[in-house]
Amino acid sequence: MDWLTGIISFCRDAVVRTFIVDNRYQIFLDGIKHTLIITLGALFVGVAIGVAVAISKVYYYQVGPYTIMGSLKLFFKTRRLEFLGRILLRLWDGFLNVYLTVFRGTPVVVQLMIWAFVVFATADGILVAIIGFGVNSGAYVAEIVRAGIMAIDKGQTEAGRSLGLSAAATMRLIVLPQAFKNVLPALSNELIALLKETSIVGYIAVVDITKAAALVRARTFDAFIPLLFVSAFYLLMVTILTFFQKKLEKTLQASDRK
Amino acid sequence: MADMDKDNVAIKVRGLWKSFGDHEVLKGIDETIKKGEKVVVIGPSGSGKSTFLRCLNLLEKPTAGQIWVDGEEITAPGCKVDNLRQRMGMVFQHFNLFPHMTIMRNITLAPIQKGLMSKDEAYEKATSLLKRIGLWEKADAYPNMLSGGQKQRVAIVRSLAMNPDVMLFDEPTSALDPEMVGEVLSLMKELAQVGMTMVVVTHEMGFAREVGTRVLFMDEGIIMEQNTPNEFFAQPKHPRLKDFLAKVL
Repeated sequence: MDWLTGIISFCRDAVVRTFIVDNRYQIFLDGIKHTLIITLGALFVGVAIGVAVAISKVYYYQVGPYTIMGSLKLFFKTRRLEFLGRILLRLWDGFLNVYLTVFRGTPVVVQLMIWAFVVFATADGILVAIIGFGVNSGAYVAEIVRAGIMAIDKGQTEAGRSLGLSAAATMRLIVLPQAFKNVLPALSNELIALLKETSIVGYIAVVDITKAAALVRARTFDAFIPLLFVSAFYLLMVTILTFFQKKLEKTLQASDRK
Repeated sequence: MADMDKDNVAIKVRGLWKSFGDHEVLKGIDETIKKGEKVVVIGPSGSGKSTFLRCLNLLEKPTAGQIWVDGEEITAPGCKVDNLRQRMGMVFQHFNLFPHMTIMRNITLAPIQKGLMSKDEAYEKATSLLKRIGLWEKADAYPNMLSGGQKQRVAIVRSLAMNPDVMLFDEPTSALDPEMVGEVLSLMKELAQVGMTMVVVTHEMGFAREVGTRVLFMDEGIIMEQNTPNEFFAQPKHPRLKDFLAKVL
């Protein structure tokens, strides 16, 4: 059984070289920390942007559509400011369409480099990464949340409004909670994709776990152990996320029981 | 005479028009509803009766015309729509309970949010309302666990929790299984007996005859005929109404 002992001792040496020598585990720990910070930060930014964009687009969909020329004509005819508001609303919706198109239509790694090397050439890499991934993710979250809101029966809004609740309160208390429940699986998908997508952050010289593995690999000339470790890390994180998603889904399903 | 009546008027509608795109649904409605009246609106589908009702609390924005509620012109620019709506309860064909909230929360949400009541007061009020309709044991259940009739009765007391002056009913029994229609109608009768001002769009002719103080027949976007229930059903005048009654009675 010499070959087995050989393999074991080879692996032990590789593990020692990858993690122990020169305290290399520290590089991995920092990488993990950065991966998690960027993911959570980008999640926060993405959901904030996504929900705001979705609500804005649904609002325009419900009251609109308006044309700029038509609204302008009505304004000159009536001198009522609400028609100028319609123009602003039309422009804002157009801006959001551009946002969705551009950020879903270009690779996130390219966006990230533009943020890092063009827009914020001197800023902290982690912050840039949070902004870059967050703004990108926001475009996807916006469409997910919008679909969720549109799927809620109009009667829910009407019931809320007819009880005297404001449009904002109706959205916050009645529509969004139901929409959130419906889109939770899709949102989890987005979060999982986001977590794994952060692995390209090495392009802007931020050391996340993937970059940490690359650095160590370059020192030890051993690719197997670092990449195995990195894969296991992502897999573990996704498993944990999925676990919590299922749990949350169960909780939210309480009202479905007949 | 008109001035003497003024305090007595709950809703006044003048020259109400409503169109969706090119489609004209309401073509000039004038109507005055006095406090305590139970006005039943009937008519074929597509006649504009639901749209008329929904204009009264501005769920639909009139294309032209004016509406006053309790002397206040609600169609005037800058009218506080939310405050108007909390004085007018509305009951929908499809109940529109909030499925993600318990029955108790469905009822207490708006009074608490609008600051009309403290949490305790709202719970107390909801409790007494639920006891009145015999559904107190369902307070912690979710709408999905209730039958259609129970849902609609909860929807009615949800509106009542706001202490409205007027209640609007938009075909409240049309989505119910036949055996559940009775329980909802009897709750509405109870409401009528305690003097609530009610506007009811319905196909329940029995209810119109028994509870209504006035029946309106709408067709093609106007009120074609109206009368006291007895006269209305006994001596219909307009051929369209005769035709309609022949079909539904």
